[in-house]
Amino acid sequence: MNQFQYVRPSKQQAAIDAVAKDPNATFIAGGTNLVDLMKRGIATPQKLVDINRLPLARIDADPGKLRIGALALNSTVADDKQVRERQPLLAQALNAGASAQLRNMATVGGNMLQRTRCSYFYDLAMPCNKREPGSGCGALEGINRMHAIFGFSDKCIAVHPSDMSVALVALDATVLVSGPKGERRIPFIDFHRLPGDTPEKDTNLEKGELITAVDVPDGPFTKYVHYQKVRERASYAFALLSVAAALDIENNTIKAARLAMGGVAHKPWRLTAAEQLLVGKPATEDTFRQAAEVAMQGAKAFKHNAYKIKLGPNTIVQALRTAASAA
Amino acid sequence: MKEQAQNKQIGAPMNRVDGHLKVTGAAKYSAEYELPNMAYAVLVGSTIAKGRLTGVDAKAAERAPGVLAVITHFNSPKVPGFDTAGKDPSQPATVGGPLKIFKDDKIHYSDQPIAVVVADSWERARHAARLVKGQYAPEKHKTNLEAGASEAFLPTAAKKNPKHPMNDYQRGQADAYKLGAIKLESEYVIPTEVHHPMELQAITAHWEAADKLTIYDKTQGTMATRRDFAKEWNLPEENVKVIATFVGGAFGNALHSWPHESAAIIAARVVNRPVKLMLTREQMFTNVGYRPYTWQKLGMSATPDGKITAITHESIGQTSNYEEFTESTLAQTRMMYQAPNVTTRYRLVSLDVCSPIWMRGPGEATGAFALESAMDEMAHMLNLDPLEFRLRNYTDKDPENGKPWSTKFLKECYQLGAERVGWSKRQLKPGSLRDGEWLIGYGMGVGTFGAHRGAATVGAQLLANGTVLLQCATTDIGPGTGTVMTQIAADTLGLDPKKIRFELGNSSFPKAGTQGGSSTVNSVGPATQEACLALKDKLRGLAGASNAAFASAKKEDVTLTDGYLALSSNPATRVAYADLIKQGGDKAVMVEARPGPEGQQYSMYSFSVHFVEVRVHELTGEVRVSKLVSCADAGTIVNEKTAGNQMKGGAVGGIGMALMEAAHIDDRFGRYVTKDFADYHVPVHADSPAVEVAFVNQPDPHVNALGTKGIGEIAIIGVAPAIANAVFNATGKRVRELPITPDKLI
Amino acid sequence: MSLPPDLEQPAGHDESRRTFLKQSSLLTALTFVPGPVVQAATNELDEKVAAAFEKVPLKLEVNGVKHKLSVEPRTTLLDLLRENLNLTGTKKGCDYGQCGACTVHVDGQRVNSCLSFAVMHEGKKITTIEGLAEGDKLHPMQEAFVKHDGFQCGYCTPGQIMSAVACVREGHAGSEAEIREYMSGNICRCGAYSNIVAAIQEVKNGGQKV
Repeated sequence: MNQFQYVRPSKQQAAIDAVAKDPNATFIAGGTNLVDLMKRGIATPQKLVDINRLPLARIDADPGKLRIGALALNSTVADDKQVRERQPLLAQALNAGASAQLRNMATVGGNMLQRTRCSYFYDLAMPCNKREPGSGCGALEGINRMHAIFGFSDKCIAVHPSDMSVALVALDATVLVSGPKGERRIPFIDFHRLPGDTPEKDTNLEKGELITAVDVPDGPFTKYVHYQKVRERASYAFALLSVAAALDIENNTIKAARLAMGGVAHKPWRLTAAEQLLVGKPATEDTFRQAAEVAMQGAKAFKHNAYKIKLGPNTIVQALRTAASAA
Repeated sequence: MKEQAQNKQIGAPMNRVDGHLKVTGAAKYSAEYELPNMAYAVLVGSTIAKGRLTGVDAKAAERAPGVLAVITHFNSPKVPGFDTAGKDPSQPATVGGPLKIFKDDKIHYSDQPIAVVVADSWERARHAARLVKGQYAPEKHKTNLEAGASEAFLPTAAKKNPKHPMNDYQRGQADAYKLGAIKLESEYVIPTEVHHPMELQAITAHWEAADKLTIYDKTQGTMATRRDFAKEWNLPEENVKVIATFVGGAFGNALHSWPHESAAIIAARVVNRPVKLMLTREQMFTNVGYRPYTWQKLGMSATPDGKITAITHESIGQTSNYEEFTESTLAQTRMMYQAPNVTTRYRLVSLDVCSPIWMRGPGEATGAFALESAMDEMAHMLNLDPLEFRLRNYTDKDPENGKPWSTKFLKECYQLGAERVGWSKRQLKPGSLRDGEWLIGYGMGVGTFGAHRGAATVGAQLLANGTVLLQCATTDIGPGTGTVMTQIAADTLGLDPKKIRFELGNSSFPKAGTQGGSSTVNSVGPATQEACLALKDKLRGLAGASNAAFASAKKEDVTLTDGYLALSSNPATRVAYADLIKQGGDKAVMVEARPGPEGQQYSMYSFSVHFVEVRVHELTGEVRVSKLVSCADAGTIVNEKTAGNQMKGGAVGGIGMALMEAAHIDDRFGRYVTKDFADYHVPVHADSPAVEVAFVNQPDPHVNALGTKGIGEIAIIGVAPAIANAVFNATGKRVRELPITPDKLI
Repeated sequence: MSLPPDLEQPAGHDESRRTFLKQSSLLTALTFVPGPVVQAATNELDEKVAAAFEKVPLKLEVNGVKHKLSVEPRTTLLDLLRENLNLTGTKKGCDYGQCGACTVHVDGQRVNSCLSFAVMHEGKKITTIEGLAEGDKLHPMQEAFVKHDGFQCGYCTPGQIMSAVACVREGHAGSEAEIREYMSGNICRCGAYSNIVAAIQEVKNGGQKV
């Protein structure tokens, strides 16, 4: 790892300035992904701006929404009473990620900014457009069993690895950002990007912009929710595929639905068409299967990930089934 | 043993003698010794899989802060033994040998070390290593076994020696299964699996003088490692000292000396300081061996009433382009079941990869996946319970050579395990049992491994404080060697185990073989026993000088108690240690124990059977092992606690093998895409049920006087097929290519 | 605990300082030596001088002992413990937060010490395996690991024990299944999981203070 300057500002503006003005500077919070990438020479910042002393770790239970500070730890959020009561789907998704130790380090903001786990991205001796634009995509014709089935481009077929983000996109969260040009709010669904021709950019954050909080609006999804994660071992593994499902059911009729998938695209993948199909229908296996089929329209597999075309709908059905019986 | 009456420790679930050190963090592993002026070394790996290294640009690295040296093929000091090694006529050059680091410009595999960077801290060495750039003349590489299968060959050692066990084997008619009315022919694949002990391979190398080398190394054999490096540096063996007091797991990958060890020793010589080198987790995939990718085909025929008539088992395993690695993949097939016609064929394919190395339950675990899966397939074809099918083909003598078994209590294992797992719940028809969304199935798999015993020497001495110190160069990679030897010594001496210290892991101690092949207790156990008897006899002789009763006593009658040497037959007859010490004279013995001729008369094997209950999710294809019962006939169990732990650990290893472990190479680049524990999954807590273990615990009178047979390998052999068979029973899906990941079941 | 002052300005390495050092190197005075040699020697010495300025001050409390240190910002907490403080009980098993062997407590919370820079723990209290026992008296979790044989090779053991203590303290040891889930961040390749879970259950059920 290269040497770097280390600064630890106490004021938000100083932190933002430090990163905005230095092309080789970056923020560090939990460090669980950045330190890893720095050790492997994939991230080589010359300056680290430690934001852990900024007052951004609060969880505010406001009327109508939860405001979760960007520095709130994953474990703190998952165990928070308000979060568990008002957004149980988020708590479930957080607990499905990483390990207890990592959740004690990783922050909400950092979790969203996790970079892909694509093996080609992680190997300096293999091509990767995300790591080194123009070098090619190693996964396209390579070993791509973990890769995308939606929204990919011929430049990049990597997937976003976060579990938390799948729940947040389903829950219509909003990301609060502060930057050199002031503050702005980014709907969660617009926060992460598809790779297109610029896979090196994971998100729509501008240089120097700092995530300060995430707003999660209250909804009717306090009961019939489930985060279903399918992985190759029982815990502590990235998802082959995951589904966040949230339903509002009355008299066995679905009044509202939220559905998103992880492990299938360069961003957490919201399944709006499937949600629409669910509304007004009885909460039955048939309905779930129909929604799952709609959800998978447009999916396309590569050499090693065709199983996702089948695992996807099955996992959606499983998530909806479990959510519907979660009471 | 003669002193049955005094047997208090053998069989007792004694806590580990090194437990306190391990739970307090005081146990020191090979990268944890503090030496003055320590330097740190980091390897730089090749980015191509085959070709020549034409240059190394090390300028930036050499100029980086704290860097002491950048050593490559182009500037490395000559390692004298590299020129002579391999010229031994008893080791034909075609069989190859370990990679000689920095000796020439040839690249044999991707991530082969092309440079070692030495600096005054880890941080600086690691950073500088990143600045080193290799220049290459690449050649076309081959890393895919199936693509190279047409070039598969009989191992050279077998070609040269018709009696070599890797030769083709035939009993009865060749390939007779093809003629059977009821027959199957299936292909099985196991991917490359990596040992991945939790301790990264590490070495601290210290030239104490120009001709005197001490290394603190992760090795399973201090003597073998000493021999290797003494040879590399043309030094007398006594000038090389190998210390491996604690080894953080190995599972086979420290059975071999590897290039990183040579690199650290070269580096220490160049910078004239002690050098510490620790591999990264990525380098654990590429530079310290693995269980080789293996393709197998198994044909079997049987009569309608469930008698096997013929088996043909073929295997092609991968090796490197510089060394022929072989393992006993087909051994179990030749001896496990009564079959009049058996054919086995073992072949290798050379690829541009690092050499494999035996991984727990080595070839047998690979072979058992094919054999025990095929047994299940045949039982299904015959509509027979797979346990019943195995009983109908049970062998009371070794069908490979007609010799009697030294002991075999496999039927007893079957019974113990079947009861504990609830085998009676198993349904013949797959997919019959479910619990909500989970399909339930039961499966079994059998394992066996030779009860190997080698020569071993143990030193024993009575110290002035009345304690006994035992020493042996054997190592302990985790099974609890020091603990069981203390128990054996305690019973033999009659002394409280707290008064006994068994030291190991040092090549300066009396010699012993490498810890591998489940042979340590079989070999070092009797040496400990005999050394203790000899010590008693020696002390008896000394005591005889002042007490006539001792002069005429038999050594077996002598016992060591707290403070006194006494006679078991008459404890009042005793001599204080203090008096013996005052008397002067040598109170130390060194005894070598060797295996007897029984190995020629009997077939000696440990046996195990693993019963599992799995739950397979009907929609997601996730598999959970909900019950796992491992039963073993491993002879005398010296310590049920540590032995049971070993069995449980093997079972967990088997869960990994069955459900998740696979290292994949992208053949276009010849590089692994699995580089760490995020890509290469090993079982975590949540993957393991509470494993149940049962031992038959019957001594084998022929292996050694203790009656032990060995545990480490049979703990894993047969687990993976048991799980695959249970998955079939749950779902009706037969997975013949490991691991059984969700994508294969939906 | 009072937090130390914020580090608004880099206390350590910065490019301008390094450049200044390079330009003002003593060796540039050696004008009679041929150019390339001076250049090479200058570079080397400059790097060495500059390196001394690449460290930042750090105050930490480890196992109750206060340390005033000077470390490179890139030094991880794990390497600091193992290499600078000779606390080798905390293990390096992967260095990427994927095995748990490096688990320590920072202000009472279990974390992977390999994935954080030491400088980020300014003013914090670190507990490692060496700080768990009270003198010769083992912590109940250590006792339980010995009794249940919750290890084989011992390498993952310190991390398992630190994690197990936290698991009980957090209230995540309510059932066998919960223990297995909340201990899944600690890999034991020897596979002693059954025994580790038994040890944790005993401590939990025994009601001893952890």
